[in-house]
Amino acid sequence: MNIGESVNLYRAYYCLDCGVCTGSCPVSRVLPTFSPRLVVEKAMLELGDELLGDRDLWSCLTCGRCYQRCPTNINFPEFMRNLREEAAKRGLSPTLTHHGMLQSVMEFQAAGVRQKKTDWAREAGKIADTGEVFYFVGCMPYFSVIFRDIGVDSLSIGRSVIKILNAAGITPVVSDEEACCGHDMLWNGNPETFKKLAAKNIELIRSSGAKKVVFSCPEGYYTFKHHYPLYFGELGFEAVHFYDYIEKMIGEGALKLSDGARAYTYHDPCRLGRMAKIYESPRAILHSLAGDRFREMERNRENSVCCGTTGWANCSSCSKQIQAERLREAKATGAKTLVTACPKCQIHLSCALSSMEDMDLEIKDLTTLISESMR
Amino acid sequence: MRKKARYVNEDLCTGCGSCAEKCPTPAVDTFNTGIGQRKAIYKYFAQGIPSVFTIDAPSCRQLGQGKKCGVCAKTCQAKAIDFEQKDRMVEIEAGAIVMATGYDVFDPSVIPEYGYGRIKNVVTALEFERLLSASGPTAGHLDRPSELTLEKEIEETGKEVRKLSARIKQLEEKQGKTSDEVISQVKAGASDEPLVEWAKQAESLAEMQAALAAMNRKMAAATTAKKLAFIQCVGSRDFRFNRYCSSYCCMHSVKEAMIANEHDREVHSSIFCMDLRAVGRGFEEYKLRGGQQANIEYIRGRVAEITEDEAKNPVVWFESTTERHVKSEVFDMVVLAAACVPSAGTARLAQLAGVELDTNGFVKTDPLMPLATTRPGIFVCGCAQGPMDIPESVAQASSAAACAAEAVIGAQITLKATA
Repeated sequence: MNIGESVNLYRAYYCLDCGVCTGSCPVSRVLPTFSPRLVVEKAMLELGDELLGDRDLWSCLTCGRCYQRCPTNINFPEFMRNLREEAAKRGLSPTLTHHGMLQSVMEFQAAGVRQKKTDWAREAGKIADTGEVFYFVGCMPYFSVIFRDIGVDSLSIGRSVIKILNAAGITPVVSDEEACCGHDMLWNGNPETFKKLAAKNIELIRSSGAKKVVFSCPEGYYTFKHHYPLYFGELGFEAVHFYDYIEKMIGEGALKLSDGARAYTYHDPCRLGRMAKIYESPRAILHSLAGDRFREMERNRENSVCCGTTGWANCSSCSKQIQAERLREAKATGAKTLVTACPKCQIHLSCALSSMEDMDLEIKDLTTLISESMR
Repeated sequence: MRKKARYVNEDLCTGCGSCAEKCPTPAVDTFNTGIGQRKAIYKYFAQGIPSVFTIDAPSCRQLGQGKKCGVCAKTCQAKAIDFEQKDRMVEIEAGAIVMATGYDVFDPSVIPEYGYGRIKNVVTALEFERLLSASGPTAGHLDRPSELTLEKEIEETGKEVRKLSARIKQLEEKQGKTSDEVISQVKAGASDEPLVEWAKQAESLAEMQAALAAMNRKMAAATTAKKLAFIQCVGSRDFRFNRYCSSYCCMHSVKEAMIANEHDREVHSSIFCMDLRAVGRGFEEYKLRGGQQANIEYIRGRVAEITEDEAKNPVVWFESTTERHVKSEVFDMVVLAAACVPSAGTARLAQLAGVELDTNGFVKTDPLMPLATTRPGIFVCGCAQGPMDIPESVAQASSAAACAAEAVIGAQITLKATA
């Protein structure tokens, strides 16, 4: 899709040039050269070459803060994604983090490399090859190895999900053949690899006989919920986020949580909050866990800010500044623990925290917290 | 039509106001947008017509709370108070109807990024109007809502402190001991129940006194608002809420900023807008005069977000689109130019009257017949038809009355009112 077609598709011509997007953008506050408003303006002035060649094209976090507030509903993240596809066609790409290791893993998976990544799940509890409920683990088995050095054990989330599902009498399907959901490839301007990965996953889940796919990762959930049907139509199974699932279990008394006496605050992930509109179920869980020791940061729900970087690309001093500010905001609530709900938020914020010596704060994933609080 | 009971005989009431003066029951002042209080017997606003008082039944001690009172009835020399009055259904046969049901102010609390309702010193233009009014709850001084709340807290805490210290003083006199002695006795291990309770109360008194002193210090350091931000297009020209322009807000923001500056020359106002729509004779000149003489700065940029700092000051985040720069600025108070929306009853009324509404929910009219609704004989004027300012509403009102007269003139009509 060329730039003109993107302008038409997202009705970018409705732009009022009001500046709400740029004023809301966490990147623009740190990096004055980046401005969503100017991106739209340039697109409409047909300054395509300048726009696509601009390195700032990859600075956007696609966090959706601008879209949430845009008075003319211009879906800037999706608009940006289309521009990136155009730029990628010209051979341009973002600056990949971790030397592109994670993108390589994604390409391997798209090419169909055999994986062996369910041992941890068998150790954690009961899993099956076929069944009603499929647990889509996502990339955590890889994260767990890669980010060991900053003390983040992403797989504790996966183990916790299995433990909690088992406790509720559910034996989920967990598969070695599961591929990356394709989220990062899609947002990095590579829809071809995304489509390959997605097709593999859809086929795998259909053949497992599952009618419900449970996600603990917001990116996987949102990609399945929003982008898979966009590219593949009706999926034949339902995507459910784990929090919605367990909020119900807590409500029905199937899951009992004990009080840990700590004060918590909660960071909304962009994909879970603004994009999937899941704001309340994690809060309901935290309330049942901590009562009024759960404290909101000033910027919460729709106003929440990104964890600083996305798609394993363009992690910069700008990211660090956004992260440090967010951590200080968490600290200001008086909470001792910042609860995250996305493995990437946990990694990114933990990375920033590790270089902030005087910051007395613990970062914990909500799912892990739930499993530790089970009675 | 239901004519609601006002519990005051309209034919007898002279509007003197001695009832409200003597009424012992305070109630929330709705005309002053909930800032400040009025009495349970009240007149909605000073210039209201007819100039007749009304009892706010749910707030009234006698009508609402079932207690004995009747102070107003005793005070009223005209004997106008009638606690037995009931709502009446009135049937009117009319040859023409003019719908002049006005508008509601958009509720900005649904916009998460502006923090209205959460950040105390973010107010709507209508609330600001009351704060600025000489007959309003602050007599026209720009006291900030955060300080008004603090004032209330000080009053309440003060009351508690006086009550508790009187109780403790009584104990001290009776027992011939000081509270300090009791506290040290308890600390030393005395477990006598009344003593423990006494010590507990004495300690909480000390805590409350310290809190009160802190609040008083804060209050003493507070000044009236000097630095104001006006935010345009709140809930209008916004696809999420209302697509239309509310048309009058640009001018009322300039007006409010001008009056604030006339009241206190130190007041500086920033008006944030996409374009300041000063359309009308003399409006553009008025806007310019505001910039030249009333310390008003016009900033091109729609406000993205409002946060709050430790001193309860709102912090406004925006992109100055002329400078292409994202900024944050601390203000004493932020005024939201909230949109004009159809009044809550418009849809129901339109259904009853059999008239159509436009896509925005206002009463539909034809551009060439701006006062005629879709049903002959029914006319509309003012903000029931769409957002408009006072002069336009007044002009429409006269025209609509003329249209209605034209419809019935020469016809034999009877105006019957049955009780």
